[in-house]
Amino acid sequence: MHEIKIAEDLSAIVLETAGRENLTKVTKVNISFGQLVQIVPDIFRFAFSETVRDSVAEGAEVNIEIVPVKMKCMNCGNDFQVAENRFTCNNCDSTDLSIISGKELFIKSIEGE
Amino acid sequence: MEIKIMKNILDRNQNKAAEVRSLLESKKVLMVNLISSPGAGKTTLLERTCEALGSKFRIGIIEGDITTDRDAQRLKKYNVPIVVINTEGGCHLDSHSISKVLGSFDLDSLDVLFVENVGNLICPSQFDLGETFKLALVSIAEGDDKPGKYPMLFREAKAVLLNKTDLIPYTNFNSDNFKSDLKRINAQIPLIEISCTRGEGIDKWIEWISDKIKISR
Repeated sequence: MHEIKIAEDLSAIVLETAGRENLTKVTKVNISFGQLVQIVPDIFRFAFSETVRDSVAEGAEVNIEIVPVKMKCMNCGNDFQVAENRFTCNNCDSTDLSIISGKELFIKSIEGE
Repeated sequence: MEIKIMKNILDRNQNKAAEVRSLLESKKVLMVNLISSPGAGKTTLLERTCEALGSKFRIGIIEGDITTDRDAQRLKKYNVPIVVINTEGGCHLDSHSISKVLGSFDLDSLDVLFVENVGNLICPSQFDLGETFKLALVSIAEGDDKPGKYPMLFREAKAVLLNKTDLIPYTNFNSDNFKSDLKRINAQIPLIEISCTRGEGIDKWIEWISDKIKISR
């Protein structure tokens, strides 16, 4: 369900940018979502398409990159990718970790004319 | 043509959350964002908390509810300031709705503000309210597999409360499975086992939260 609110905030950014840049058509929206945020891409695309209906972004393709969860070990400095929800350093077994990526809800760019 | 934007989609929410956080810090009010499934016992936990802490600390409550003020009605008897936010179908609170109602409280005469978020384990985890910390509440009847299913909440929360422990004999809840699942996601998170209806473990919760309130004062 949080897909709807996030899609609304995304469409506000897209339409504001399109207006500022005098675009008459937005063809593509490039975004990235961290794996931890548990966005369902199909639901998100549907929600976004509804929020931009009858605007310059109607029909825009939503290109979603899923960013894996990466952590930094605060004990040994190792950077590693979390697999199967195992939040333990794969070098020294420490659980004192700091997140590097995986929580993104990020808009990279829009494409249009 | 491609136009670079490079920003957080929830920037608006994040900026307002930062405002809320700095206001509460200046007023020395601890804000707890309480997150659980529907029916896990958020309101009952707040009832037990008001009973135990009402004479020691000045408590305020924000009740997030999709509709109705039933939870707030239950808490009325504790004579603490309560504001209800009806989300009208929305599955989570956000920082703008919190910011709007903060004016209804006299923040100078509060020590702690509990926010009962809308019952849901995924959506509320994404929206920073400006809280001091999030608290995850799960209950026995939901099953022992929740940490692995909702890793974001169990990574982000400051502590986990496991409620309704009195029901363990009547369910297939396996405490070892729950604990090992939680440990895998977040080995450092404190786990407090409680029964809000029977009272077991409530003293441990009260001790834990009292420490946090004292630190923020």
